[in-house]
Amino acid sequence: MPQASLTSFDEGLVGSISASLGEPSWLTDARLEAFRQFVALPSEKSPLYTKYAKTFDIGLDRFKAAPGGSEIDFRSFFTGYLTGNESDILLQGNETQVHAELSRNVSSKGVELMSFHDALGRDEGAVRKLVEGRLVKSETDKYAAFVNAFFNCGTFVRVPKGVVLDKPLRKMLLLDSPRTPVIEQTFVVAEEEARLVYLEEQYSKGVPSPAFVASTAEILAGPNSHIDFSSIQLLDDQTTHLSNRGVGVSNDARATMSSLSLGASVSRSRTNFYLNGRGSFAEGFEIFFTDGEQRYDYETNLVHNSPDSTGSTQARGVLKGKSQSIFKGMIKIVKEAKNARSYLAHHVMILERTAKSDGIPSLEIDNNEVKATHSASVAQVDEEQLFYLTARGLPPDEAKRMVVLGFFEPVLSRVPIEQTREGARFMIEGKWEGEKRRLVDRETLLAATGELTPEVKESEDIFERHYKYR
Amino acid sequence: MKLEIKELHASVEGKEILKGVNLSVGQGETHALMGPNGSGKSTLAYTVMGHPKYQVTSGEILIDGESVVGLPPDKRVKKGLFLAFQYPVSVQGVSMFSFLRAAYNNSRPAGSESPTIFEFKEVVAEKLKLLNMDESFLNRYLNEGFSGGEKKKAEILQMALMQPKFAVLDETDSGLDIDALRVVAEGINKVSGPQMGSLLITHYQRILKYVRPQFVHVMFEGRIIESGGEELSRLLEEKGYTWIRGYREEEQAPPQVGQTL
Ligand SMILES: Nc1ncnc2c1ncn2[C@@H]1O[C@H](COP(=O)(O)OP(=O)(O)O)[C@@H](O)[C@H]1O
Ligand SMILES: [Mg+2]
Repeated sequence: MPQASLTSFDEGLVGSISASLGEPSWLTDARLEAFRQFVALPSEKSPLYTKYAKTFDIGLDRFKAAPGGSEIDFRSFFTGYLTGNESDILLQGNETQVHAELSRNVSSKGVELMSFHDALGRDEGAVRKLVEGRLVKSETDKYAAFVNAFFNCGTFVRVPKGVVLDKPLRKMLLLDSPRTPVIEQTFVVAEEEARLVYLEEQYSKGVPSPAFVASTAEILAGPNSHIDFSSIQLLDDQTTHLSNRGVGVSNDARATMSSLSLGASVSRSRTNFYLNGRGSFAEGFEIFFTDGEQRYDYETNLVHNSPDSTGSTQARGVLKGKSQSIFKGMIKIVKEAKNARSYLAHHVMILERTAKSDGIPSLEIDNNEVKATHSASVAQVDEEQLFYLTARGLPPDEAKRMVVLGFFEPVLSRVPIEQTREGARFMIEGKWEGEKRRLVDRETLLAATGELTPEVKESEDIFERHYKYR
Repeated sequence: MKLEIKELHASVEGKEILKGVNLSVGQGETHALMGPNGSGKSTLAYTVMGHPKYQVTSGEILIDGESVVGLPPDKRVKKGLFLAFQYPVSVQGVSMFSFLRAAYNNSRPAGSESPTIFEFKEVVAEKLKLLNMDESFLNRYLNEGFSGGEKKKAEILQMALMQPKFAVLDETDSGLDIDALRVVAEGINKVSGPQMGSLLITHYQRILKYVRPQFVHVMFEGRIIESGGEELSRLLEEKGYTWIRGYREEEQAPPQVGQTL
């Protein structure tokens, strides 16, 4: 494909992205509608939060895009970072999805893990329904509208009714000086009584360069289903990161979202939990660690639309250097949501006085028979914890390190893949030491997980098999 | 070898709590320190261990004749001090195992080699047995969600691993049912011996049936106002802490010249 020239985010680009991806006209129209919202909306709608908008501005004007995916060589792109044994994995290099692979056992159950556009080709009706019923609505947020208008890639995961997956599905995005922003739209769907574990990883490789990653995700837990979603954001410190998630939980279903973020220069994250079914349950854990000039802007809301629903979300951060964070969170309970229980917490540790953090929790409750609590704190490392550890002989530095690293464990321990978990631990420790650590390479990972001499059976090596790329 | 506390004055947030404490604990001795709530027992414990909020304004804390005042807590550990906390702090995300291992390695004499993970597992397994504790305990986060009894047992486990020369046990008996009390008390007896001196802070006499002190001291309003043998604890039990109040008033009339109240 000839490389089109870069343009700013205008209406023409919407049309040409859609055309280059061969989309049906209803989707082009949906994009154009989203574009109108994008143009009309201010970057911050709520008067509660506008005073922070400037500090956390993502500077969209700096970026330009072109339609069409770039070509990358799968082997050289990923080979340093994978053992070759991975299965049930989707790999994406920049905006190009290069490899999707399900083990026979999983695919035979009808599980789907593929790019958004492959799913569109296979089951246009179902995808159309999902797009038209999106939880991340263009009219609610400028940047939701932005992704809905300009997405140039995406992931589709669906686990059919009654299928229980014990092994995680994994998506890895690797960024290497992308020419154009990576704008993605993800759907993770668990049908009735299905269970799935999903892990999403974002890394940068190569020399840090100004890059832009924006995404929306629809996480839909059908009746009685169970979704366990983890994500790890380890992009380099020149990347701008946008995320917008809608989590819909049906009756008696359960959704858990854990996220760990260390990277990006500016990160703007929105998560809305919609407890839509009676007896639904949602749980969020968000943990971040910033330093230098990083800016993190987080918003997580629990929206209780039905009785007997339970929601809990905790954001935790550690800040160093001149980094800044803001957390906004709201518990919203509608009149019909009798017996709803809700908990929202934001706790931050400031390691240096130059770092800054704010938390703005709020409540909007229209039913008296509910329980809703929130707690927030911005503090230095707890003095009593430090005293306790030093009274056990730990030197002050080691005591502090233990408390701070321990702060991440509740999320880290939920990461379903050991290598990813160890890789993230390694990055966190690096950040603590003040080192700029790169994406963990294969050797380091293997050393960390104790598999010093991995036995890669050649026939199972994903690099050896047929793969496709655009 | 002795832990000596001499005319110790200490304050917290500018308020003087300890008003001249004198106490000497020899190796191999068990001392009980009793006193009503708020008399300054925990303040003494924290001050001895070097809590940054508790300032020594005058007086001395000596181990083997050397002052530890001004030393950070980890350096006091190296001198052989241990404090079992009245309210052990929980730290989420730090496993009991990694914490105990760090405590063990950091309390050993300088120059001694740290055991491997496997060697340490054996060391800790033996101590767990001593306290009737399950190994699964090691996988939990430090004190997080522990019952009162589990917390106190964990403190004694740490003492058993660190093998201090002098241990201050701050209300290790409080919040325990009678069975847990017995296990903890037996644990204390197994860990202590001729090489360790202990100061057992307690509000009640009941633990003293299991851990028998040679010396009993009574603290009131930041001072030790009475010292004696075991019989003193029984006297306290019978007469209650109100008795001390009267006792003190008697003692102080007429006030001595130069005494500050
Ligand atoms: N960290 C602190 N901040 C303020 N006051 C304190 C602190 N610790 C102790 N105190 C005060 O010191 C006095 C003695 O308390 P404490 O040593 O805990 O007594 P005990 O352990 O004998 O019950 C009390 O009046 C208490 O309020
Ligand atoms: Mg006390």
